[in-house]
Amino acid sequence: MGDIVVSETMQKYFDLMEGVLHNEIEIANRARSQGKDPKPETEIPLAKDLADRVENLIGVEGVAGRIRELETDLSREEAALALGKDIAAGNVGNFDTKREAIESAIRVAIAMLTEGVVAAPIEGIDRVDLGKNDDGTEYIKIYYAGPIRSAGGTAQALSVLVGDYVRRGIGVDRYKPRKEEVERYVEEILLYRRIATLQYMPSEDEIRLIVDNCPICIDGEPTEQEEVEGYRNLDRIETNRVRGGMALVLAEGLALKAPKVQKHVNKLKIDGWEWLDTFISGGSSDEEDKDEKNKVKPKDKYMRDLIAGRPVFSHPSRPGGFRLRYGRSRNTSFAASGINPAGMVIMDNFIVAGTQLKIERPGKAAGMAPVDSIEGPTVRLYNGDVLRIDDEKTAIELHSQVETIIDIGEILINYGDFLENNHPLIPASYCVEWWAQEFLKKTGQNAPENPNQHEVMDICNRYNLPLHPDYTYIWHDIERDEFLKLAEFIAKNGIKEDQGNRLFLPEGKAKEHGIKTILEKLLVLHRIYDNKIAIENPLPFINCLGLGEDLKKQWEELPCEDILECIIKLSGWTVREKAPMRIGARMGRPEKANRRKMSPAPHVLFPIGESGGNTRMLSSAASYKANNNSKVGEIKIEIGNRICPSCGMETHEFRCECGTHTIPKLFCPRCGRAVNKDICPKCKAATSCVTAHNINFKTVYDRAFERLGERNKLESFKGVKRMMSKHMTPEPLEKGILRAKHDLFTFKDGTVRYDMSDLPLTHIRADELGTTAEKLLEMGYEKDIRGNKLERDDQVVTLNVQDLVVSRGAAEYILQTTKYIDDLLVKYYGLEPYYKAETIEDIIGVMLIGLAPHTSAGVLGRLVGFTKSSVGYAHPFFHAAKRRNCDGDEDCVMLLMDGLINFSHEYLPDKRGGKMDAPLVLTTRIDPSEVDKEAHNIDVCSSYPLEFYETSLNYTNPKELEETMDLVSSRLGTPTQFDGFMFTHDTSDIAAGPVKSAYKTLGSMVEKMDAQLSLAEKIRAVDVADVAERVLISHFLPDLFGNLRAFSRQGTRCVKCGGKFRRAPLTGTCPHCGGRVILTVHEGAVKKYLEVSLKVAKKYNVSSYTQQRIELIGYDIESLFKNDKSKQMGLADYM
Amino acid sequence: MQEMSLLSDLLEAGYQVSPQAAELITSHNNPSALINHILGSVDDSVFVIDVEDIDFTGFEEVREAEIPCKQEPVVNTTSANPISVLCDITDCSTCVGEYMEFVQYFRNRYSRLSEMIRGRVNARPMESLKGKRRVPGDEISIIGMVSEIKNTSNGHRLVRFEDPTGSFQVLFSMNDKDIYEESNKLVLDDVVGVSGNLTNDGKLLIAKKLVFPDLPNMGLSKNGIQGKALFISDVHIGSNTFLQEQWDDFMTFVTRQSENPELNKIAQQLRYIVVAGDIVDGVGIYPGQENELTIPDIYDQYEEVAHYFNQIPSDITVVIGPGNHDAVRQAEPQPTFPERIRKMFDPRIKFVGNPALVDLDGVLVLMYHGRSIDDFVASIQGISYSEPEKAMLEMVKRRHLSPTYGSRVSIAPEKTDHFVIDHIPDILHCGHVHTVGVKQYRGTLLINSGTWQDQTEFQKRVNVVPEPARVPVVDLATFQPTMLQF
Repeated sequence: MGDIVVSETMQKYFDLMEGVLHNEIEIANRARSQGKDPKPETEIPLAKDLADRVENLIGVEGVAGRIRELETDLSREEAALALGKDIAAGNVGNFDTKREAIESAIRVAIAMLTEGVVAAPIEGIDRVDLGKNDDGTEYIKIYYAGPIRSAGGTAQALSVLVGDYVRRGIGVDRYKPRKEEVERYVEEILLYRRIATLQYMPSEDEIRLIVDNCPICIDGEPTEQEEVEGYRNLDRIETNRVRGGMALVLAEGLALKAPKVQKHVNKLKIDGWEWLDTFISGGSSDEEDKDEKNKVKPKDKYMRDLIAGRPVFSHPSRPGGFRLRYGRSRNTSFAASGINPAGMVIMDNFIVAGTQLKIERPGKAAGMAPVDSIEGPTVRLYNGDVLRIDDEKTAIELHSQVETIIDIGEILINYGDFLENNHPLIPASYCVEWWAQEFLKKTGQNAPENPNQHEVMDICNRYNLPLHPDYTYIWHDIERDEFLKLAEFIAKNGIKEDQGNRLFLPEGKAKEHGIKTILEKLLVLHRIYDNKIAIENPLPFINCLGLGEDLKKQWEELPCEDILECIIKLSGWTVREKAPMRIGARMGRPEKANRRKMSPAPHVLFPIGESGGNTRMLSSAASYKANNNSKVGEIKIEIGNRICPSCGMETHEFRCECGTHTIPKLFCPRCGRAVNKDICPKCKAATSCVTAHNINFKTVYDRAFERLGERNKLESFKGVKRMMSKHMTPEPLEKGILRAKHDLFTFKDGTVRYDMSDLPLTHIRADELGTTAEKLLEMGYEKDIRGNKLERDDQVVTLNVQDLVVSRGAAEYILQTTKYIDDLLVKYYGLEPYYKAETIEDIIGVMLIGLAPHTSAGVLGRLVGFTKSSVGYAHPFFHAAKRRNCDGDEDCVMLLMDGLINFSHEYLPDKRGGKMDAPLVLTTRIDPSEVDKEAHNIDVCSSYPLEFYETSLNYTNPKELEETMDLVSSRLGTPTQFDGFMFTHDTSDIAAGPVKSAYKTLGSMVEKMDAQLSLAEKIRAVDVADVAERVLISHFLPDLFGNLRAFSRQGTRCVKCGGKFRRAPLTGTCPHCGGRVILTVHEGAVKKYLEVSLKVAKKYNVSSYTQQRIELIGYDIESLFKNDKSKQMGLADYM
Repeated sequence: MQEMSLLSDLLEAGYQVSPQAAELITSHNNPSALINHILGSVDDSVFVIDVEDIDFTGFEEVREAEIPCKQEPVVNTTSANPISVLCDITDCSTCVGEYMEFVQYFRNRYSRLSEMIRGRVNARPMESLKGKRRVPGDEISIIGMVSEIKNTSNGHRLVRFEDPTGSFQVLFSMNDKDIYEESNKLVLDDVVGVSGNLTNDGKLLIAKKLVFPDLPNMGLSKNGIQGKALFISDVHIGSNTFLQEQWDDFMTFVTRQSENPELNKIAQQLRYIVVAGDIVDGVGIYPGQENELTIPDIYDQYEEVAHYFNQIPSDITVVIGPGNHDAVRQAEPQPTFPERIRKMFDPRIKFVGNPALVDLDGVLVLMYHGRSIDDFVASIQGISYSEPEKAMLEMVKRRHLSPTYGSRVSIAPEKTDHFVIDHIPDILHCGHVHTVGVKQYRGTLLINSGTWQDQTEFQKRVNVVPEPARVPVVDLATFQPTMLQF
């Protein structure tokens, strides 16, 4: 371990960052030392490496030191297992019972396996317990909870192995399941699969095999409402409800990752896991992919669960779909792919930077980024012209004239994504990079840029090089007779003009014989002039058809079956495949950039019970009168009591009037005694400091304004109904006043956050980020990508790992936050302002925390610029440090100072998952070896070698090329792990393309669906009827069925107090407050999609099965909502 | 227009009516009676009549007598085997999906079931228990609908009961074994009577006695008729697990072509065939069903069924009700099959809704598909799919076919609760669970008639073993059941 190996510049960068960090911590501590917060010092501990993070997260002392020792010569997984054993044996940490030691051992091991970032080790395991086997021996039960999902399959599976490993050390027997328990697992996992999603579904026999043999009892908290029906009320399984955590660990963990478990079992030589052999040999799903001569088959998995308004861009592997271009741009890789911004516009603005696409391969999904150096879509306009659009401006101009999208253009995917997904390489489309390398190899010279048709033909003839990709058409898409027809037609009707620079064909005749369609399939671009089809630079095309200079056919019969082979024979040239495989895609999730709001969104975590009404307005609470005799502003709330240790006064505030910092006043809820311990020594009950009592809120409210010297002119100022935290400690009202003043909302932990979709970025230019070279120099940037001194705004520089580019909306929100923090420092804490920022340019360089959902470790970041796209661009290592990739995930940023001053454990909800999504520790420095391993598979070279393109034709496993490609993994532990990254394809603007996805700008679901279907009709690669049917089956029908069902089983709600009732009360009115009670599911919600479903089903003539389902549900709805008596009168009576 | 004329009485009497109240009144099936009731009961201080001012207490009973489920019994006397439908929702559905309808639906259940108990329990309104300190040990009785069942940390059972005036909590103590055992059987939305003692603070009733509506304890003094009736359900035609061979044998039997003389003798005596739903497998009932269908078209499925039923000799009267797989609304009570489907069958085949009470030449048969059995199995210990008659016993004990709301049974909030068992049937016939069970209880014969479908993938997973192709035949003179196996 030890320090991270870095170059001198990077060392300077890290020092600079840490300098600012420590300065800000000092200011925050100065503010907090005044005792106006739950704790008198900042509550986010710093962690410089994984060992620190694990210790901070779990809180077992001595763990960090032991990890550093173990990691010197063991791999991460081995070290985790060894550490688990150490803890269980009592060598590390101090525990009262065997049970506690086992529990901590398992938690620490999971924390290590997940880089100490995610919440799984604290939230994913409810507890560990000992059970009794029928033979009287003891066994270990691990109670998994929902958040174990965030650990990922491998860590889940290994947690079971850790359990087994440690139980041996302390002499606990294995779990011996009863027969009905085994069957319970089978039923329960199958049921879980129906209500939630599982990445992998083991067969029933596989489940039996695992449960029968697994030495640890995988148990779990009930996470779902559903109950099992068959195997109920078992002795040793406490609940009949579905245990989601258990299902995840068994299916996605043990079953899916069995080979990985086996690897460790073999290494550690643990017995009792021999059954894994049976399991793995018993039918691995990987085998199937490799069959049939390495061919890759179309996959339609990404088409499942199609939703209205999220269009399909291409059916699986269909001509006209995305053509694969291998490479990496500075804003792609790490599960993000690029397409031309012109394509974004032409495809009706559904895709923008940050939009998630579900793709056919190599992975499941990808975030989208604009890359304008690859080919855009090819379209046919209404006037018959067929052209390819490569720039956004032309795309906007021509958008309304597009009749059909013949080809949706290229998609840029890097080699690393194939490696990460372990997907065999698919044959590369012939592209300029490949051609250029072949040219160089053959001639020893650099290839000419954009050669004309004569030069291209000359090169083919002279060097016997393959035909240039620009003149290579998609020959493999047409049939033999189509080729014959085309060649004959041109021989008969073609006219060469303009010294062979143009070929004219009669338009009417060409259409009649279907020749135009063939040209379109080949992607031969053409325009229509005076009823003639004009093809520019046609000579290579003519030669490929085997026609002579005079357009006379040079052949009688086609020499072979395969069209491409024919062309090679007829032309005498080597011609490569232009699009050997297409990649299908559909829209997943739209991009996101928005302030984090809870719903309803509070400005302050201060409880006001019912007194603020449904809107939780604090002003209403301040003027609340419970009844005619009560005092104005006196409200009853549940709040944590605190006591002043010096003068003994009780209050809910953090500072006593005497100036001392107060502490929670704990008492036992059972015996009522005040005890200053977490557990009552007499009753053994958990103590609490919460009581419900009356406070004069008006005084608190007015005094807060007074103290700040703020006038109350807030339009909206909202609190919460009830605190969710253990001690129900409220925030100081003053913080809320200032937040409301600056229009900021707080999250459950007291911080202000902004959410954005993640995209990777490895290189930046000052001019596209709204900043200047000068500013970059100030921030420690020195040289551009070529090693030249940074002096102009348009120089490309490598992005430092912890620097972030955020959306403009985020920048503005952060600016507001800096103003709020300044106000807080001045008016609340009486200190100097810190930021003094006026415009968003002023906040470039501020320190931020990046934090992903389901994780508990923030990463220190710095703002380096803005983009108009709704995304958060950051170095892939930064995303990986948060355990995100860029396949459409989103996470948040917050101001560092905000976290340091305002975050407190005291506010976090006291429930499952409460500690997730909170900055429990802060990673200050990114060590590439300790980020999510996925980031190690990013390639960072400036071009792919010729060998790569050639081997891709054989469906090679990407692992075989690992040595050849310049990957991050090969740079780890050297100074180049940060520096010298390159990319293969540039993009002129990382924010190109439309700003907002059409999905977000379109109004109702019906409008979205209409837009989706009209796009589907335009794209050649999409079957619109199939799209319509899929949307009906996976979205509208389940919605109709679900709502209809819900209507007839619905609960009711009181409009006044919000009380919920399982069924309508017999009194008719609310039993609590006498308010009006209403239904929770309305007729409108049930019928919402009926009409559109009927219309779409008819228009696109979907299968009769689906049509009947819609028809029947229509009758069902009519029967439920129409009175038979009034129906008899008939419509005519009303007209 | 109609609204104005209806409300004119109220307006003339000097009241204003809120829009919601107006809607409630006009949507009522007997608005003038309701208006008279309101005029008689409304508080003098009220000027604008709102929904809250309309007090239904005292009105329900009046209405009850006026409106039976079916205005006139539908009688089919042309055949030698007469049949009349006494209670059926078909063409009488009034629900339009409003909140007050849900309230009325449950009030109707409460008033009818509480009436059955009232003679045995001297109950008082719950509202009257509030706020008054009583002498500890005072015995109190209430009749309530269960709204919540909880177990306390000490293992006692705490049940909240509700009546149209308010709600009250009742404790079933673990220390009183008998009452605690009885309370095991309580399910949500049951209407029962409870007697017990109030606690000192008057906030809780400690239960001593629990009274279910139950059937009266009658001897077997039935006036039987000649002939036999046969009960089937859950044919599931169209499914790939439909047992064609066994069904063909059954058809041979009912068409009196069996080579077995015993069977033929029974077939000769057959007068009625009663079918309790799920005659086809349907479409879109569960996800992925299209892969388990041999006939994917719903109308083709019914054509196939009709083809079989039309072969039944014309001197046997067939009566068919729908189930959850049939092409009618899912919410219960379900009206009968649409015209388009009925047309496929011989006109002599009688179609009814679900549930339906039919009179077969003097023998009362209550047909209910049995969706609620799922709820009983899930919520009462000791009731399982292997003995469906136990769940049916729970139905007659609470004089209600499907008490629990909001769980597995979808309900349509109709004016009257069609699940209440007002008239005590001679035979209660259910299906749905694919297992067979027959039981006598206090003069009523409970029959669950099994299925013609083999074990499905779903049933395998949830550990349900069906008992297909078994047919109960009842001698209508003695009410003795015989079980045939095909």
